[in-house]
Amino acid sequence: MGTFIQLVVDGLSTGSIYAALALAIVLVNQATGLINFAQGGIAVLSAYIAFEFVRLGLPLILAILLAIVASFFLGALVERFLIRRFERGDQDTAVVVTIGLLTLVTGICALIWGYNNQQFPSLFPLTSVDVLGAVVSVRSLATTGTILVIMAVLQVLFLRTKLGLALRAVADNPGSAAFSGLPVGRLLMVGWGLAAALGAIAGVLVGPQLTLTPGMLDTALVYALAAVILGGLDSPIGAVVAAWAIGILENLVSVYVPFIGHDLKIAVPFALIFVILIVRPQGLFGRKVVVRV
Amino acid sequence: MTLLELSGVTASYGPVQVLDGVSLTVPEGGSVGILGANGAGKTTTLRAISGTVRTGGRISFAGRDIRGLRPDQVAALGVAHVPEGRGTLAQLTVRENLRVGAYLRKSRKAIAEDLDYCLDLFPQLQDRIGSRAAALSGGEQQMLAVARAFMAKPKLLLLDEASLGLAPSTAKSVYAAIRRLRLESGIAMLVVEQNANLAFSIVDSATVLETGRNVLTGSSAELKGMDEIRRAYLGG
Amino acid sequence: MGTLSSVGRRRPAHFRNRWLRPALIVVVAVVLIAAPLGLPAFANQTLVRVGVYAVAVLGLNIVMGYTGQVNLGQIFFVGLGAYVTAYGVTQGWNILLVFLAACAIAGLVGLLVALAAARLGGLAIAMVTIALPIVGVPLAKRLSDVTGGSQGISASFSNAPDWSGLFTDQWQYYIVLLVTAAAFLLARQLMRGKYGRAFSVVRANEAVAMSMGISPYRTKVLAFTIASIFGGASGFLYLAAVQYTSPETLSFGHSISLVAAMVIGGGGSILGSLIGGAYYVFVPQWTNTIDPNFTTVSQGVILLAVLFLLPEGLVSLPRVVRRLTRRATARPALKNPPQSTPAQPPTMEAAPEGLETTERHDRS
Repeated sequence: MGTFIQLVVDGLSTGSIYAALALAIVLVNQATGLINFAQGGIAVLSAYIAFEFVRLGLPLILAILLAIVASFFLGALVERFLIRRFERGDQDTAVVVTIGLLTLVTGICALIWGYNNQQFPSLFPLTSVDVLGAVVSVRSLATTGTILVIMAVLQVLFLRTKLGLALRAVADNPGSAAFSGLPVGRLLMVGWGLAAALGAIAGVLVGPQLTLTPGMLDTALVYALAAVILGGLDSPIGAVVAAWAIGILENLVSVYVPFIGHDLKIAVPFALIFVILIVRPQGLFGRKVVVRV
Repeated sequence: MTLLELSGVTASYGPVQVLDGVSLTVPEGGSVGILGANGAGKTTTLRAISGTVRTGGRISFAGRDIRGLRPDQVAALGVAHVPEGRGTLAQLTVRENLRVGAYLRKSRKAIAEDLDYCLDLFPQLQDRIGSRAAALSGGEQQMLAVARAFMAKPKLLLLDEASLGLAPSTAKSVYAAIRRLRLESGIAMLVVEQNANLAFSIVDSATVLETGRNVLTGSSAELKGMDEIRRAYLGG
Repeated sequence: MGTLSSVGRRRPAHFRNRWLRPALIVVVAVVLIAAPLGLPAFANQTLVRVGVYAVAVLGLNIVMGYTGQVNLGQIFFVGLGAYVTAYGVTQGWNILLVFLAACAIAGLVGLLVALAAARLGGLAIAMVTIALPIVGVPLAKRLSDVTGGSQGISASFSNAPDWSGLFTDQWQYYIVLLVTAAAFLLARQLMRGKYGRAFSVVRANEAVAMSMGISPYRTKVLAFTIASIFGGASGFLYLAAVQYTSPETLSFGHSISLVAAMVIGGGGSILGSLIGGAYYVFVPQWTNTIDPNFTTVSQGVILLAVLFLLPEGLVSLPRVVRRLTRRATARPALKNPPQSTPAQPPTMEAAPEGLETTERHDRS
């Protein structure tokens, strides 16, 4: 029982990292109709930026906050100068642009900081607590808690603020939103900035565990995409729930199903997707897409 | 005082020239109609004003040249465009749609008052205030679109084919509400409408477009009296 | 017309001479056949590798360039084909059977993946195929009985037989030439026929395709399956050339490189696939000699540069240059001749708001 609880809590924690990336992906998709494959890469860059600030002597929390702010601006600039041009054309072209961006960002990280693993300090204490007879790491609990807080903040932002209303309006119908005076371009930049900030949070939360390397979030991105597919592209809640489910499931399977074990657990979410898609093509939470000619 | 002036406006979509020298004026508080058959360039004229299509010629609003401005910049100057197809923000609620309309305004009190006014103007919206816009009927969406535009307290309202896709009785009540809106607020209007009868119920004068050019301009009374108009647009 | 597709462009003026084209084909064929006999071994081996990846890129082009489905897992099928080939060779199967098995098994797996992924529409295929190499690597390591685990398998079947009187590199060249030529000709025929048209329509607008009686789902599945078959064939050629395969063969980084190579060579273009294959072989090798850490950055920069400046790939370079020079000479009075690549409206801000402002269709 103890192991089970431990696995579930750790699974929630890793799932929370996927959730942060998944939220970022959903956010960008809602706003601009694109999947940003560079989401993980930008997150890693942000983690490296925090790492650099720490190396320069700043306290960890400040370094992290600065990195999050930096990534917000980075995301906004990416939208304005790289993505904007492709937003209204073919989707597949825009996706390749994000792939090019991923390559570029990974390459920049490798060029500046090399491929060797860098040690990133943990924001949360590396101690454990006793929960229902299981030994559970504080970090796992805190990571999950952070995502819950983020979700609450986003909920408030989008449903109760003017900015959130404007972002949703632009995501819904940018042309029409402009007729009401909304500065669509600037709002898109904010949307991408927010997504990048979400990714940065994921990066600094998981950095201590995985150690910093340029490709650190490649696998996490794949899990996040699986979560988005399962949860439905238009449902932030669905993406988060799916991400947690994936995190927990992969942990449980890797221990209780030795055939799959630790190395093949990445196959689990996709086997799940395969099965679910046959039955429910729009994902677990998504709405059926209606295409108008 | 002239509020809006178009002079020799041209526009094209790629290689296709749609507007070939359109001119018109809308006085402050005035109401002008744009009539014509499908493809004559009526919608494109409105798009030229709100900045959603690139144009040549001269377009001035309140004395300022507005050619080349972004749509949100044109809106900020006091032009509210209700596009063809309504442009409702489908996933947002009726209340949220109206709040978006008031995006550029500051005074919470005035916005709340105007919201109440809209709901009084269009009682059907009051019933559906919490529903998603996508769930509304065509007529209700049209009302919502007009109300949202009004929420910006614009100086000029651009109305594009407000009767499109609506049952005749619905279209009539929408136009009746717009007429009341005009009388009570003194807003200027530029109305594109294929149904000339409806158009004449809210405009003082009109211009008729054909293949991107003005072919006839005059007051409503004059135009209504003309044989060509009667035959082409008023059913003989 | 999308930026990744140059389907349907006019043939340039000098190809209109009736005799020029067949003559050109004969010359090219003769050169291709005679070349290895005169070239040094290293050159032949390089050309062989170009052929290997050209076939892989060609397959990718069919599903991505023509049908518009972003496929991030093509390298998985190449690896799969290589593994099947290695297995078949070590089991002593007839080489033709091995080739067919490589293509068929890759195609079957592709079919299964497509049947599930294509249902979602949109970018689902991209999101799902990204998992293929990522799952493939640990899978290859795990199934060590069949795949030789992390060590991989060595299998050699392309040594020149005595009766040919050729060196091994030359023999390999001919094998690769045969398969590559067949693949390209097959692709060309397919793309020019009704399948190619169906692919283009589905790419442009699925709703329109449906109204024409074309099922987007089925078309995507077909395109993806064909791409996987070509991937499997490429894997066979890979093993012929390298005579060794390991989990590294189908890693994620290679998948992205293939996509980049396709775009840079020319999406939606048969010839572009060949250029893409050449790019894949030459450029990373070259940047590695400058500085290995620099390779990834340069790959990203080149890909983005091509997307911004030459979206239809290197294959469109002659056409673009011709258009630029024609404009410059035709209207010398213009201070800044307009770019021929996607028209940039003067105020970029207008792009998201405007409904019609940026008509990306007017490319010429």
